[in-house]
Amino acid sequence: MLPLSRPPHRPNAAWRTWRGLLESRELILIAATVLVTLLAGLINRDFLAGSNLRFMLLNSVVLGLVALGQTLVIITKGIDLSVAPVLGLGAVVSGLLATRDGLPLWGAVLLVLAIGAVLGLINGALVSSISIPPIIVTLGTYSLYGGLIFLYSNGDQVNSVPDSYAQFGNGVLASWFPVPIPILVLLVIMLAVWFLLGHLPFGRNILAVGNNPAAAHHAGVPVKYTLTSAYVIAGTLAALAGLVYVCYTGSATATTGTGDHFELQSIATVLIGGTAVAGGRGSVFGTVLGSTFLSVILTALVFLHVPAIWYSAGEGLMILLAVTSSSLRRSSSTGRAA
Amino acid sequence: MTRTLQEAPAAARRPRIGGWELALGVLLLVQLLVFSLAVPGFFDGVSGLLNVTTNFLPFGLVALGLVPVILTGGIDLSVGAVAGFSAVLMAVLWKHFGLNLGVAVPLALLAGGLLGALNGLLITRTRTEPLIITLATSFVFNSVTTALAGAEPPSGFPDSFNALGTGALGGVPYQLILFAALAIVISLLITRTRFGRSVVMVGYNRDATRYSGINVDRTVLGVYVISGVMAALAGVVLAAYYSAVRSDMGDILLLTALTMVVLGGINIFGGEGSVLGAVLAVLLLGFLRQGLLIAGFSDMVTTMVTGAILLVAITAKNLLSTPGAFTRRMKERFSRPSTAPPEQLTK
Repeated sequence: MLPLSRPPHRPNAAWRTWRGLLESRELILIAATVLVTLLAGLINRDFLAGSNLRFMLLNSVVLGLVALGQTLVIITKGIDLSVAPVLGLGAVVSGLLATRDGLPLWGAVLLVLAIGAVLGLINGALVSSISIPPIIVTLGTYSLYGGLIFLYSNGDQVNSVPDSYAQFGNGVLASWFPVPIPILVLLVIMLAVWFLLGHLPFGRNILAVGNNPAAAHHAGVPVKYTLTSAYVIAGTLAALAGLVYVCYTGSATATTGTGDHFELQSIATVLIGGTAVAGGRGSVFGTVLGSTFLSVILTALVFLHVPAIWYSAGEGLMILLAVTSSSLRRSSSTGRAA
Repeated sequence: MTRTLQEAPAAARRPRIGGWELALGVLLLVQLLVFSLAVPGFFDGVSGLLNVTTNFLPFGLVALGLVPVILTGGIDLSVGAVAGFSAVLMAVLWKHFGLNLGVAVPLALLAGGLLGALNGLLITRTRTEPLIITLATSFVFNSVTTALAGAEPPSGFPDSFNALGTGALGGVPYQLILFAALAIVISLLITRTRFGRSVVMVGYNRDATRYSGINVDRTVLGVYVISGVMAALAGVVLAAYYSAVRSDMGDILLLTALTMVVLGGINIFGGEGSVLGAVLAVLLLGFLRQGLLIAGFSDMVTTMVTGAILLVAITAKNLLSTPGAFTRRMKERFSRPSTAPPEQLTK
């Protein structure tokens, strides 16, 4: 006779849903963002002023765009360090062409999209066709693309942009709809990536490749094509982020992107947003919420007169918290993690 | 990473051939010859040539420390932050606490080891990817360093200390002596000790290592301590080279040192590679950079060439690593994809 044992504790459905909500990274991020905003607003009323809220959102757009591309790459178990110089190249090339040669804005958009796609294609081809580990490929192209910026700019820097560009970076679409254009751009692209990942065969292929490339291959997923596309999208979004950067700030130098360590910042944002570095799953909304949260925290620290140097430490602690909480949860549900 | 059965014999043959190290050595000689003949001012006597190494050996020290880490299949993104922290700590202990540099330097190295241990503990306790942990800790270390350095970081160390960065003993720079000694120590550690064998085993097959009774966590902890101490040493040497410290002085170290290790033939997934390869790659890239700079190319062009060389070298290595791999790849490329799955994907 089998030994009698107590049936395992089965939480009821309602509790599980509630628990699932509590553990949803998106909700945690929204709650944390609201909480920080309210707390900072209690201490300093100016924090809640419309202009400041607008500033915080605008400030998160560039990082959000880069991180969206990085999300797709990390879902495939890859990593893209070259997003920082790609961003810089997009900013410097479009900025210099605009001021020197009067390149119209639509031309700049097409140009940066093309630049980003080509540079991303080089990354993707090296990763998928020659099977070089992504971290090595993008480490190499990081130096390579960084050099390209310098070759192109030859030491010149962008100090101002034409009005149409500044309008794109700071203005609103129409006076009755006072949402800054970059935020609309981010929202549109976020929805596009979300739709791509969750509702198109291509997105399922990305998830499948990240989960198990061998199984994906046997199931008929075009592994190489899928991998390459992820890097192309990451490059394209990074270059577009560069255009937004130069339009928003009105300046760009040869170290734009690499100087601010956008490669590390974007990885941090993706991790805080709840995407697993082990690949196979990820959250598009989490990434954007993560970049908003980082922007709000940074501004709150400034308002509370915390020296800005501690921002980086806070970001590091948030990454640790974000990844260890999910890894502890994983190991508690499946026993000892391998 | 899953290893295929076909890979095992090739890996077992590797130490006897050392083809990659040979190729790097030949390239290094060719490069020195070409620069000496073609670039006026590059070859200025043997001691002049040796003196060029002081410009890049701090990168080499970091690379040496990264070798054991990458052999275990890990990575340490915090080396730059640790180097900056240790250098600033040393300078602050010397300037504001009146400690002798003979005491401050060992304390800075100890601090580097402790930060490395923190990385190792976080990685082994939380079972999280080293990439994430060291990315996060580098952010934290950077903040602490900036706070520690204050608005005006100390500078103007005594000449006896600065000699570590710029001085030479009988024509051989102190930096080179230090680098050579540590390269030998780490090489012996990897090839001749129980710890070193377990480092390579962990990288080759973590589960098999655990089943054979080796304490994987302790091994992993050890390599991050080594990496921390070496990064701290690089920071101290940089401080002596510039006779000044800055909180962001370590930022430049990471990507170049990582490039050196990878170019040295150390498999980024662990389990394969030699210290000799890393040393040759350090000299190859270092002299390349200095040669191009002396020839009048800008810093960014040399960076670009470094990146291109890394990609070309790894592509060549991948294509040539196993006999017949290139032709198999071509066959696979031009045959119907449904007939043969890519070899690297088979379990």
